[in-house]
Amino acid sequence: MSIGVNVPRKDGQSKVNGQAAYVDDLSFDGMLYGVTLRSQIPHGKIRAIQFDPKFDWSSVVVVDHSDIPGQNIVTLIQRDQPFLAAQLIRHVNEPILLIAATSRKKAMEARTRIEIIVDELPSVTNLEKAATGVRLYGEDNLFKEIHIEKGDLPRGFAEADYIVERTYKTGLQEQMYIEPQGVIAVPGKDRISIYGSLQCPHYVVKALLPLLSFSHPDQVQVIQMVTGGGFGGKEEYPNLLAGHAALLAMKSECPVKMVYDRAEDILATTKRHPSIIRHKTGLKSDGTLTALAIEIDFDGGAYATLSEVVLSRGCIHAAGPYRCENIDIVGRAWATNNPPNGAFRGFGAPQTCFALERQIDLVAKTLGIDPLEVRRRNAMEPGDSTATGQVLTESVATHKCLEQAVKASDYIRKRSEYSKLLPKARIRRGIGLSLFFHGSGFTGDGENRIRGRAGLQVTPDGFIEILTSSTDIGQGTETIFAQMVAEELGIPVDLCRNAGVDTNRVPDSGPTVASRTCMIVGDLVRSAAAQLREDLIKWLAELENCNAEQITLVGGCFLLSGQRVASFQDLAKRACSEGGPASASKTYVQPEGLEWDEKTYQGQAYPVFSWGCDVAEVEIDLDTYEISVTRFTAAQDVGKAIHPVMVMGQIEGGSLQAIGYATMEEVLQKNGWIENHRMTNCLIPTALDAPAFETHIIEEPFSGGPFGAKGVGELPTDGGAPAVAAAIDHATGQRFDEIPVTPEKIELALNP
Amino acid sequence: MMRLPKFRYLGAKSLKEALQALGSVGPEGRAVAGGTDLLPNMKRRQQQPKLLVGLRQVPELQSLSGESGGSLGLGACLTLSEIAGNAALQDDYAALSLAARAVATPALRNMGTLGGNLCLDTRCNYYCQDQEWREALGYCMKKDGSICWVAPSSPRCWAVSSCDTAPAAIALGARVRLASASGRREIDLSDLYLDDGIRYLSLEPGELVEGILLPPAQGWVSTYRKIRRRGSIDFPILSVAAALKLDGGVVEKARIVFGAVGSRPKQAKEAAAFLGGERLTAESIEEAARLAAKAARPLDNTDGGLSWRKRIAQATVVRALEEILRG
Repeated sequence: MSIGVNVPRKDGQSKVNGQAAYVDDLSFDGMLYGVTLRSQIPHGKIRAIQFDPKFDWSSVVVVDHSDIPGQNIVTLIQRDQPFLAAQLIRHVNEPILLIAATSRKKAMEARTRIEIIVDELPSVTNLEKAATGVRLYGEDNLFKEIHIEKGDLPRGFAEADYIVERTYKTGLQEQMYIEPQGVIAVPGKDRISIYGSLQCPHYVVKALLPLLSFSHPDQVQVIQMVTGGGFGGKEEYPNLLAGHAALLAMKSECPVKMVYDRAEDILATTKRHPSIIRHKTGLKSDGTLTALAIEIDFDGGAYATLSEVVLSRGCIHAAGPYRCENIDIVGRAWATNNPPNGAFRGFGAPQTCFALERQIDLVAKTLGIDPLEVRRRNAMEPGDSTATGQVLTESVATHKCLEQAVKASDYIRKRSEYSKLLPKARIRRGIGLSLFFHGSGFTGDGENRIRGRAGLQVTPDGFIEILTSSTDIGQGTETIFAQMVAEELGIPVDLCRNAGVDTNRVPDSGPTVASRTCMIVGDLVRSAAAQLREDLIKWLAELENCNAEQITLVGGCFLLSGQRVASFQDLAKRACSEGGPASASKTYVQPEGLEWDEKTYQGQAYPVFSWGCDVAEVEIDLDTYEISVTRFTAAQDVGKAIHPVMVMGQIEGGSLQAIGYATMEEVLQKNGWIENHRMTNCLIPTALDAPAFETHIIEEPFSGGPFGAKGVGELPTDGGAPAVAAAIDHATGQRFDEIPVTPEKIELALNP
Repeated sequence: MMRLPKFRYLGAKSLKEALQALGSVGPEGRAVAGGTDLLPNMKRRQQQPKLLVGLRQVPELQSLSGESGGSLGLGACLTLSEIAGNAALQDDYAALSLAARAVATPALRNMGTLGGNLCLDTRCNYYCQDQEWREALGYCMKKDGSICWVAPSSPRCWAVSSCDTAPAAIALGARVRLASASGRREIDLSDLYLDDGIRYLSLEPGELVEGILLPPAQGWVSTYRKIRRRGSIDFPILSVAAALKLDGGVVEKARIVFGAVGSRPKQAKEAAAFLGGERLTAESIEEAARLAAKAARPLDNTDGGLSWRKRIAQATVVRALEEILRG
């Protein structure tokens, strides 16, 4: 038995003993170090670039847009972002030139000897002015507008006894992975190899082919190094960085390493989209939701990057896990002159979930009932349909999560007890909750467009090598894939190992994003293992001259009519050397009946949803305005926990990111500049800011997932912030509709 | 972040060797113990000494001397972990023990020393930045420039004293022993600090902090409270050290010291004088805190919003005195 068991992590030992090789641990003979010269204005035209004549320019390699052999476009969704600004600068810290030298110091010295002369243009750096400011993108500065309609909204409002309206705001959030972005590009003849800290190796292949004017995917080899976290931040950004290193490597004909320091990483890379979300809700006096009108604005920054799909996921999740027949959601991602925003764990849902959950609390307040009751009355059940009209048929765990979290946290007693605290008490307690869901896998028919592949290869020593391009970025992919193969074959986990991620060797399993690795790629791995088992049994039946039905694979041994004939490893070795079945591979096949309309946003948005309920408890010092999140109870449904300890790690880590998002994580931006670009002032919670976690894994299995598993990656970042905000409301008696809720904001609210 | 600039290093084996080296090298020399403040500052080119004199192997600076009921001497190179973990200090000099425990993180407390924390460089939003940032804006007067970006017409630097141990030790009535090649002197610890963000220590050239001397703790009760955004790592947004000599509930003598409100630890003398002879009650605490808060006038140049930082001084004093009242 390997599923549901906390086997040792495949990457554990090497990370503990220091042998794990990150990109900065790697060097090559003759390797140069690359740095980037960036813009210092939010919008303008490059008039001239001046190189100090006193500097010896022959000692460094400089690349500008004219050195690009192919297209100066970062291939992603839209084709708007250049690798290097040619004439137009669209945001602060936009890359303009690249410099490589034999030392980083020398490259940095050269960078100080270059002056970019610019003509500044008027800019838009405020989301609220994105619609009316300077024209930056298309006709209307809109990267994307999405409209989701369900039922009859005016009728919903007409049926309502009450209508409540409110606007919510969320800020920028930095991923703050422990290892900054970094790549090494090694040039070859008509090819390039990229070693990098990244999530999506095949994205890099697709981005570099047109940049370098290569025609065959094998010309770009991408190798993932041990990666110190990503959280979405290493989904699309490495395309740009790998392109930069590749350009320097092609021009210098030397390997080039580019590793950002923390400051550059915070200043230049993508963050979570800031949002303004307006809610108008119709409700009956019994708490039934009759209408949900939601208007969502995201600041996309200067280039489209992934904004449209972040917006899409945000919109689909905006009405939450609640039954409502009349829904109207309008979402817009705007172009501004801020640095581009992009993927961050949750992908638009944490913003819209925050707004909705705060609005549901407002509904409760309007009716004078407990927030728990509103959720109990409206939580979706099997047979209900989502905002996109997707009818839920299985694996719905709203009530299970809600009741488990409420019971485990003692919510009902504490909610009433904390409300009664003497007005004299200077340290107030509060408790609040949130109910949320997160779709697993790509939206709609996205998985069908990716057609992810995974494979297994028997090695000559009888081990099973797992071939996927799913990256382990700390979340445990390598371990759970091995568990799935081991379970399917009935062999020890130690016999299964990962081939490593090298695009020249492993198939394209799709990107490591969207809470899809365990459920989608995991199922490909599992079914490849099932295939291999079947093939080996057939082969053994031929060798033994018997019927395949007489052979079983149990406990690592093949049994013929109950008698042991070969160990798995022995037969696997034999298969490898004697031309037997020594490999298996699977390609994603869309389940029948999946319907999705990308234009109207109607249909089955996700194969299935994971569900969760968070209960946060806080203490607020009414004199010093300090906020302390003291306890956090999470009940989250993942279908099946393949590795319960790692699932709990995902839930607690994601919750802590959400707690930080709610209370302290604030990337300060002024006129397009990020003002706090160091870990000293761009804060994330420390171990001492982590509350006592009580984590409950709920398992409501999904028939389409491996062993019933659904996605867990992003779910935990969705519910924490609104639960904490609700608890702060409860403690202070003030409403906070904007995060982060800092001591400064509490001080202001309590001293109007 | 840039790498360290080039420098020479001398690992002194005795106090005499250290003092002679510092005395002869002049202003280009700096003493270093844990290096947790100095070395990052050097990477940011905020300090660029040519010679670092390492003190970690100087036995005289590691001493902890004193007798029960008497005064206590603490060598400058005791680590903050050693200070925080010392049981006698926890009992008799709680403010200092709490302050040492509140510095940074466990790893930094294992490296950082008492002397280093007492001499911590002053901090400011316009100074605590990497070199590129400071160059882009224009260097400020604390390093390489001539203007104060906090108060552009100001002739002085307003960088903030952010060490935790100094307010605590001052509240405890500490004296500091200074040594140089030409001799020793002992002054009140409060006199080590000057109200200037650049020249914030009254150390003479070639002089270093040898250690502090805490007076007998008999009858004194003390505490230290630090406000910061997170439970660890961060410098204080505001700190309050309070020490009271109590005789049956009546305050015989009091010292209240703020950290992180100005370029030096700030004593709330009016409040301390008021408390003298008062019985410690909710009312006297409230009045003392009101008077104390007048001494806390932070500028908007470090972590935390100004309005918040201003408003919490009084309440934090109340909290500290209440803690002493509760015992």
